[in-house]
Amino acid sequence: MAGPLAPTRTPEETVEEHGDLDRPWVTIVWNDPVNLMTYVTYVLQELFGYDEPTATTLMLQVHEEGKAIVSSGPREKMEHDTSRLHAYGLWASYQRDA
Amino acid sequence: MRPFRRRGDELVARLEPAEARIVALLLDQLEQLLSAEVDDVTGDPVIARLLPAGHRSDPEIAADYREMTESTLRSGKADDLATVRAGLPPDGGTVRLDPEEAAAWLRTSNDLRLALGTRLDIREDTEPPEDLGSEEGQQLAVYYWLTGLQGSLVDALATGRAGRR
Repeated sequence: MAGPLAPTRTPEETVEEHGDLDRPWVTIVWNDPVNLMTYVTYVLQELFGYDEPTATTLMLQVHEEGKAIVSSGPREKMEHDTSRLHAYGLWASYQRDA
Repeated sequence: MRPFRRRGDELVARLEPAEARIVALLLDQLEQLLSAEVDDVTGDPVIARLLPAGHRSDPEIAADYREMTESTLRSGKADDLATVRAGLPPDGGTVRLDPEEAAAWLRTSNDLRLALGTRLDIREDTEPPEDLGSEEGQQLAVYYWLTGLQGSLVDALATGRAGRR
């Protein structure tokens, strides 16, 4: 029973939307059969400044699990990161963090 | 081929005449594909691999991404390709690259491998060809040759970076 001063949205919806806004975006690199493992490691170091062990761990995750999150942040930045990876031919995409 | 090695700040390799001619031919084919009318290559798997979707499930975000980034990606690939062509000795010989040229060679050789790999349907378990008589066998051989060339460039660049730290 909503009176004239009742909120137009239910609190649950509001919370959900807030949660949605707070969830960061992520850039994902997907496994592909062409890119060399050494190349993927090199590109991750070059573009994101990761040290060699970190870049190697991410590359192995891509290789073994099929994908890895390589960066996270605002949507515009993930768009930019994805395009930098595409310039190097890595198979990348961005999305809201699951 | 003598694979890439680091000489001071430069990356140096040596290509046989036939190797240089194959690279030149592949560059022409890649350039043709990238400069084709969009309508003529819609759905081409190589184009889809070289200019992939930015978002995998939301077509609107994917379209936004394409609009924002595709022309820059395309012009970057065209610039890289021109750099590789300029540094390629047409009849074979020494390739000598400064760090910026090396980055262009790295990206373009990867694009060539992606293009060939997509056409040849390369999988994780694909093996180098035993039969060089067939056209597919020859193309596979070119793919693996490019892999060797690019691999040596990656290794030489990575060694240089380790040395700088």
